Amino acid sequence: MQVIEISMWQLFLCLILVMITGFCSIMLHLKLEKDLLIGTTRTFVQLFVMGYLLKFIFQINTYYLVLAFFTWMIFWAAHAVKGRTKERTIPLLFPTFMAMLVSCMLVTIIVTSLVVQVKPWYKPQYFIPIGGMIVGNSMNGIAVALERMLSEMRKQRDEIEMFLCIGANCQEATASIVASSIKAGMIPSINALMTVGLVTLPGMMTGQILAGVNPMTAVKYQIIVMLMLTTSTAISCIILIHVVRRICFTPAQQMKI
Amino acid sequence: MKIEFKDVALQYAKKEPLFREVNFSVCHEDYVIIRGSSGTGKSSLLRLMNRLLEPSSGEIFVDDKPLYTYEVTHLRRKVTYLQQTPIIVEGCVAENLLLPFHLVSATKPAPSKEELRKWLDDLLLKDVCLDDDAQKLSVGQKQRIAFIRCLLLEPSLLLCDEPTSSLDPTAKDILEQCLENYHLEKNIGIVLVTHTDVKVQKAQVKKYILDSCRLREL
Repeated sequence: MQVIEISMWQLFLCLILVMITGFCSIMLHLKLEKDLLIGTTRTFVQLFVMGYLLKFIFQINTYYLVLAFFTWMIFWAAHAVKGRTKERTIPLLFPTFMAMLVSCMLVTIIVTSLVVQVKPWYKPQYFIPIGGMIVGNSMNGIAVALERMLSEMRKQRDEIEMFLCIGANCQEATASIVASSIKAGMIPSINALMTVGLVTLPGMMTGQILAGVNPMTAVKYQIIVMLMLTTSTAISCIILIHVVRRICFTPAQQMKI
Repeated sequence: MKIEFKDVALQYAKKEPLFREVNFSVCHEDYVIIRGSSGTGKSSLLRLMNRLLEPSSGEIFVDDKPLYTYEVTHLRRKVTYLQQTPIIVEGCVAENLLLPFHLVSATKPAPSKEELRKWLDDLLLKDVCLDDDAQKLSVGQKQRIAFIRCLLLEPSLLLCDEPTSSLDPTAKDILEQCLENYHLEKNIGIVLVTHTDVKVQKAQVKKYILDSCRLREL
């Protein structure tokens, strides 16, 4: 099956849809016009830049360039997570970056080399899109988990201090908060596992079907994707929440936030 | 056990110092009451003693050794802190009382149900069962549960941060009486910070006031 190419004028035709939204915003005084304009412009610019970059990486096809590009994606994801949290007293960027780097890199390499068995394992056509999905999903999961943890620590400050006052260490004092935060980060992924195919037709599967792939092949890929996303989110959340918990306390088991 | 403050000052980042040049000592035979209006740093003074906070300058000694040389989780079991609002976790009364015995720092075996029952009776909690949901108790009852939890650690010093401020007059009297009894009978040092009057009948009380960034003996 041939893929229908989209010309530039077809792409700009889509702008009519945004204009409808903008018109609604003006009529209903939502004041979203500026954000819509910036958002639409950024979508065009960012995706085209990404497209050209990918084209370049696909042509060069070396593992260090693929890994460098992937690390760059993870850095920006970690930056976005940090931006979403209100906490400014403890450093979050580096731990977030490291937690995502370990989990996303690990899961992506396992999927490309062992599950899909791409040859070579870093083949950018596979590694980058699969890794991108993993990073995006982990980013959302850890943002939720981190926000939950920091807000619960502030809310339950007295309870944490009660535990510290009876001789608990920071692990014991925050055990329930850590568990509930990791759980909160995992819930969207678990929900996605429950509803995939029933409520939503996932993006990757849709993309493959549009690209002419046999639906059964697309389904198999999607199953791999769903499972890897859940795993990477779990690993990222577990690593990050434990590291951040450690950062939130001094060696003398005093709360820093 | 003796805790000694030498020229201790506390200042939070980018703020005026809460207090400075604090020199005082307290031992397990003392009953100390520290008074002062809200925001003068009474609670912070207590929190320095069990190392929930670090002084900005000066040093704190425990039995003539710097406070920081002690393993902090063990220190906090010896210098126990009773919070202003009782913190009761989900679970029954017994589970709340036994919390300290499930921690890594626990060195003694947990008390039996009979012993816990005796503690409840001694603190006039005869109508409270060990299996009762602790969240459903009144504030006064919760404060006494928190108090027993501290005493089960067999501390040398008990730091009390306005423990009666949220209690009604009857519950306040009961808790104050208990504090005095345990101080006299078990030789536990008490450091009580408050901005209200405290009834003490038999114990010798050392009174201090925290005012204008200084701690003065009355």
